[in-house]
Order: sequence, then C-alpha cells, then structure tokens
Amino acid sequence: MGVYGNYIVLFIAILLAWVATLGTEFSVQAIGLAVGLLGSIAYLAVKAEAARRHLAELQRLRDAYTQLDQQAKHIIRTDVELHHTQEELDRRLASLMSLHVLGRQLQVSLRPEEVFSKLDAAVVTNFGFSKGLLGMSRSLDTLEWGSLVGITRPEAEELTSHLQRSGLLKQLLSHPGPTIVKPSSATDPAHQTLLKLLGVSFAVMTGVIPHTGPVGCLLLGRMDSGGINIKADEELVSILTNQIATSIENSALYEQSWTTQQALERKVQDRTRELAEVNAVLVRLNKSKSDFVSAVSHELRTPLAAIKGYASLLGSGQFGGLADPQVERIRKIEKHADLLTQFINNLLDIARIESGRITMEHASIPVEEFLTSIHDVIHPQLDAKHLQYVVDRDGVKELLGDTQHLQRVFVNLLSNAIKYTPEGGSIRFGLKREGNTLLATVTDTGCGIPKEDLPKLFQEFYRANDPINQQVRGTGLGLALVKRIIEAHHGQIAVDSEKGKGSTFTVTLPTT
Amino acid sequence: MSETLTATIGWSERPDAAQAGAEAAQQARDQLSCVTPQLAIVFGSSWFRQTALLQGVRSVLGDVPLVGESTAGEITTQGPSSHSCVVVLLGASAPWCSTGMDAEIDRAPREAGQQAAYAAVRGFQARQRAGFLLFGDGLVTSYAEVVRGIQETLGTSALIVGGMAGDDLRFTKTYQYCDGRVLSRAVVGVLVGGPVKLGVGIEHGFLPISKPRRITRASANRLLELDHQPAASVYEEYFGPELVARMRREGLTRQAIAYPLGIQRDASTQWLLRNVISFEGDGSLACSGEIFEDAWLQLMIGSRELALEAASKAAQQAVRPLNHVACVLIFDSAVRRTLLGSRCAALEIARIREAVGPSVPLAGCYTYGEQAPLGHESAYERTAIQTGSVLVVALGT
Repeated sequence: MGVYGNYIVLFIAILLAWVATLGTEFSVQAIGLAVGLLGSIAYLAVKAEAARRHLAELQRLRDAYTQLDQQAKHIIRTDVELHHTQEELDRRLASLMSLHVLGRQLQVSLRPEEVFSKLDAAVVTNFGFSKGLLGMSRSLDTLEWGSLVGITRPEAEELTSHLQRSGLLKQLLSHPGPTIVKPSSATDPAHQTLLKLLGVSFAVMTGVIPHTGPVGCLLLGRMDSGGINIKADEELVSILTNQIATSIENSALYEQSWTTQQALERKVQDRTRELAEVNAVLVRLNKSKSDFVSAVSHELRTPLAAIKGYASLLGSGQFGGLADPQVERIRKIEKHADLLTQFINNLLDIARIESGRITMEHASIPVEEFLTSIHDVIHPQLDAKHLQYVVDRDGVKELLGDTQHLQRVFVNLLSNAIKYTPEGGSIRFGLKREGNTLLATVTDTGCGIPKEDLPKLFQEFYRANDPINQQVRGTGLGLALVKRIIEAHHGQIAVDSEKGKGSTFTVTLPTT
Repeated sequence: MSETLTATIGWSERPDAAQAGAEAAQQARDQLSCVTPQLAIVFGSSWFRQTALLQGVRSVLGDVPLVGESTAGEITTQGPSSHSCVVVLLGASAPWCSTGMDAEIDRAPREAGQQAAYAAVRGFQARQRAGFLLFGDGLVTSYAEVVRGIQETLGTSALIVGGMAGDDLRFTKTYQYCDGRVLSRAVVGVLVGGPVKLGVGIEHGFLPISKPRRITRASANRLLELDHQPAASVYEEYFGPELVARMRREGLTRQAIAYPLGIQRDASTQWLLRNVISFEGDGSLACSGEIFEDAWLQLMIGSRELALEAASKAAQQAVRPLNHVACVLIFDSAVRRTLLGSRCAALEIARIREAVGPSVPLAGCYTYGEQAPLGHESAYERTAIQTGSVLVVALGT
C-alpha cells in the first residue's frame, strides 16, 4: 500500500482517538464504522495499485510495440534495398540472357537490313526499358528505323526529324559510346525535346559504329531512372551495340562473299555454257572429220586396190618378162600399197569406233587360244631379233570382249615392244585379275619413251621424236586405235616409261 | 454427362500481333475436335498492337464469343511467359455463357457494372448461373462501384471473379477485349452457368509487418488519415523520404507494389490488400481499391516461401467443389511475379499445376488486381478487389 497506506493508518488512528474522547457507547458504533471504512479504503487502495501496475504494463507494451514498429521500418527499408538489388540482378540476368539469345539470332542474319530489324519487345523489356528504336544510317544525315518497340511509326518519324535537325544524329554517328539523357542533366534543349518525343524521363542513345564506319543508331528509353544502376545500363547498351555492329560487319562480309560467290557461279555457268557450245561444235567437227576420213578412205581404197592388183599382175609376168630392176620397183609399189592400205584401214577403224559404227562383242575369250594366236603373229619378229618373250597369266583363264579387236590391241602393243627393244632384250606379257578388272601389261626392256612424249602418245599421227622412229616406218595411228578399242570395251590404257630402261603399257578391262 | 465442357489452350510468341493471335487461336482450335467452341478467353501482351492481335484471333475463330485482357505477363501450362498471346477455347455441345461489356466506367462506374451484367444476363436466358468472370482495367480504381452495379443486376449472392488487365508494368494503358472490340477503362464480363460450375481459390501469403493503425479518414479509394495523421506522412515513416519522393514523382513504382497495404475490417476477416498508386497533394494516398473508414491498416511484407504456399492453397480451394475440372484460369498478381523472380514464378505455376492435376489445361495472366469473394462461398457478397493475390478459377462440372 506504500505511502498512501501510512496516511490511511494515521488518519484512522486520529479518528479513533477523537471518537474515544466522545464516550464508550458512541465509541463502539464509531469503531465499527471506522473498521468498515478502513476495509473499503483498503480495497480501493489495492485496486488503484493494480490499475497503476496495468497502466505501467500497458505503457511498457506500447513502448515495445513502438520499438517493434521502428524495427519494422528498418526491416522495410532494408527489404526495399534488397528488393531493389534483387531486381537489378534479375534485370542484369535477363539482359545477359537476352544478349545471348539476340546474339544467336544476329548470327544468322544474312543482310545488314535484317540485323536492324532484330530488336524486339523482349530485348527492350529485359534490358529494363519500355521503348526502343534501332535504325540504319546510310549517311550521317539519313536514318531509317528497322525496329520500333513501344513507339508508333509516325512518332518515330518525328523523332528522326528532330535528330536530323538538332544535329544529334551526326553527333551519335560520329562519337562511339552511349549517351545518357535524363531530365536532371538534359540542359541541352535538343535532349529535352528528345525525352519529350520519346515520352520517357530517361534515355540511352548510341551510334552503331563498326570498323567500317557508322551504320546506325540505337535509342532506349523508360519512365523511371531513379534507383536503377545507370552505369550498368551504359555497359549493357555498349555490349548490345557492339554485338549489333559485329553482326552488321559479319552480315556485310557474308553479303559480299555471297555476291562474289554468285558472280563466280554466274561466270562458271557462262563458261560452262560456252564450253558446252564449243564442245558441241567440236563434236560436230569431229564427226565431220570422221565422215570425211571415212569417205576419203573409202575413195582411196578402191584405186589403191586397183594399183595393188595391177602391180601384182605386172609382177607375175603375165604381160611379159620383166627386168630385175622392174621387178624390184613393182615389189616396192606392192609394199607401199600394203602400207597405205593398212594406214587407211586404221583410219577407217578409228573413224568407225568414234562414230559408234563398230560394236564390240562381249564374248568370253579363252586365254590359251588368245595367247597362241597372238604369239603366232609376233613369233617371226621375236625370232628375228632374238628377244625373250615371257607370258605370265597368273591363273587367268578367260577374258571378256571382242576377240579380233583385243588381238589387234595386244599384237600392236607387242609389235611396238619388239620394234623398240634391241636384240637380246626381253618382253613380258602379264595378265592379272584384280576384283572386277583384268590387268594386262606389256613390258619391254627397250629404249623407253621420253617423259615429255608420254601425254601425247595416244594422239593420232603422233610419233615420238626418236632415232628408232626415224628408222622404223609407222603411221602414228597404232596406239590411237588401241586406245579407242580399249575405251570401246569400257577399259583404260596407261603407260609408264623411263628413257633407256623400257616401257610398260597397262590395259585395264572389265571382267563383268 | 452429355454436356461435357472441353478446354484447349493455344500459345504464340510470334512478334507480329496478328500472326501471334492467329497462331494461338489455331493451336487451340486444332485441339478442340468434335465440339463447338462456345467461348474464347484471350490473354495478350500489352506490347502487341491490340486490334491486330484480336483480328488475328478472330481470323481463325470467327464469331465465337470472346473475352479477355492485356496483361503484365501471360501464363500457360508450361509456366510464365512475356510478349506472347494465350487463347483458351472452351467448347461444349450447348451454350453455357454470355458476354457483356460497358465502356462508361469513368462517367458512371456503377451503371457500367449494371449494363455489362445486364447485357450478359440478356444473352444468357434462363439457365442456372454459376458466376460472372470479370475483366477490368487495372489502372482504374472505381471497380468497387462497378462490382456493386454488377451485384445489383445479378444479385449479391452471385459469384464475381476475375482479374484486372495489366500493361507489363508500364502503368500507362491497359486493354479489355470483348468479341471484336478492344477497349480501355471498361468492364467486360462473361456470365457462365448451365452445366458449367466454377471453383474459386484466392490467397496472397503476405504477412503484416507494421503496427496496426486505425483508418480515421478515407473516401472511396483514397486513404486520408491514419491515427489522425496524414496518411502520406505515415507511409513515409516506413519507406523513407527518398522512395516516397520517387513515388510522388513517378507514381506507382515496382518497389512500392511489393509492400501492399493490408486492410482488416475486424480481426476475424481476411486481409484486403491495396497498392498505393499515387500521392495526392493533400497528403492522402490513392489506392488500388476501396478503403474503409474505421478499419485497421497494416503494411504487409511477402516472402517467396509464403507466396508459393499460398498458390498451392488457392489451387486446392478452386478444384475442391468440382467433379470434373475442364481447365483452370489463373489471375496472378504482377506484384507476385516481381516478388518471386523468374525462377520462383515458374515454380508457383508448377505448384498450381501439381495441385490441380497435370492433365488439366492451365492458362492465365499476371494482373493489376484480382476480383474474388473474401473468405468462403458464404461470403460472396463480400467480393472485393485484391492486389498481390493469386486467384485460381476452375471451370468444370
């Protein structure tokens, strides 16, 4: 009860002392009254104390609540900061993702115009902006918007006029790096108008300037600038601009290379067409040549047969005896007539094969018989020069083709070998099967063929400049005819030779 | 049941508005075989040219009744997206819905609500009503009156749910779609019923952080005084002068929407969340919905964990009353997407999908406000606009 209790006890003691002076009867009543009063006062005092304590508790709670509220204020402000940081991080992340996606899209842009159309709403918003314009400049005074985000075409055109009139465009295209425009720093009236036309309170603008020179500009804008990291904006816009510039360079290079390739392709097509035309003319001329050779050969063969026949008649002595010199001359006439006939026959065969008038048989030829018949033909020449002749057929039992013509081929090759191999030398005729082909080789130990003559060896009328050739007569048609017969069999012929060490002719023939 | 409700969803990210609309509509139409389309709900990014977007949709769907709105982000079964168009196509063998709209909100919000509801009722004939799906303008603050107007036509026991259109956090202009028209500052709605039933779940997951303050003076959506002090000065105590100066300069900021005002009329009712939209010259705060005098107000704070938990709860509430769920519409606050960040926002949709079942088509959008009854079915008359909430509406039988 404290101080109040002491006062109450003192008051009651004084009251009792005063009542005692008034008499006993009155005193008893008064004491009862006083006790009742004392009890009431005590009760009230207890209640008052409890209320005071509650008030004190309430005040303490109120203070604690206020303290908690103060802490809440700190928490909110900290949370705002954290939220802001988180948002900035999210924005950076979204921007980088956007850059990545845009980079991939730009990589496949094949024309600079296409690159300028790639800025879309996703990129602009992920960069934290609400408006975006990307335009192409063909000179320092022109601007053509390729991408518009959050702005209409007429509004963009008005902006273009302002950029051109105010000189901002020239400035953008001349100085690399982003320029920040915001109301607090936009003392330049041109910048203020720019913000007004864009309908934003913050803008970043920059020229797109690859190594080849300025090609366009980028403008990004948004309403709020407070709290957002402007430095980060500058960095991101720089990266974006560099990416665009690189893509433009790449697409320009691609376009250039594409144009060059197209021009080259056109040239190739032109040349191919010209060659085809020339080839057609050549084919026509070749046919005319073959026809001419064929006609001339036919025409020559008849009188030649008459010459040979009459020479033979004269030589037989039917028209009277002849002196030896006459017989000798007639024999020469016959010999040269034979050579001429052989020459004409070769010419005729070449012409026939070229024109397709001769069809090669596709018959199975027993190798044994084939080799024997060849040997029968070349045997006298081999003996005359004492040459060693070796045949290696490696188990080959048959070959496929036209017997007569293939005999002609190998007789020709072997005759040449005999012709160019000095006495005592050797000649080898080999046969070998390799998969679906038959390899036939004629190898001699002769004088060989000069390297420079090898490519021309199978040309008609070509004869190597060789001392032996000067002694040995030939038409220059033998190997040309051999080549055509082999090709008519869908085969190939090749030669390998070294001067002074001999030659090898290899014939490849299909076996199916 | 012969009259089964079927729902399909189409989605397109094409940058061209008409192509995006047409592609999304075509995807939805291709999946809806053997059933007549009865209603198309379109959620379109505000970045699109809105008229072209709607033309694209209607080039595929023709005259199918259409409602929808621009968004602050779109939602599909795969998760959140941006700069895209989502088309929900609902089909049934018989009609079960009717659309209505009114664009006179600024002049007379209550009458606008009445007219929109009346137009819907007129086309609905005498079928049993399940509810009214509302699509409003997220930048207009007079929707409490609009809803009263709707209630005057449909009755106070009518279920009114929906979302307020967004504009990708630019806060300049939002759009509502009704059939072939693109509107702003309008009310668009569709009355559904017949065999179709609606299930609704709404949660926010925000918690009060400041000490409770009595709203001593308020008028419509304006908060004038808290504990007899100007509301703006109390607000500044919490956020500091710098952020408040920014808000005064620029209006609604992303930071401010992450800390909504929580209003509680008495201790037993749910929290009503409001965003501060602007600071008025007289020291009052303009809020995103109606403010009630004598109610208690506390500043709210959210966390990712609570937000995800709230999404699960809302989805569970929505599907509980239905036997068959044809599709689920999500009206998720743009605040939540900001709060959650891209990874957790995807997780939130995954949580909803998990709760409603993986085979249920799911679509929706991020909104500037969510309209739904507070509490349970018995409290339909206490429907209100929330912010910071996730509203899950299940359509089915």
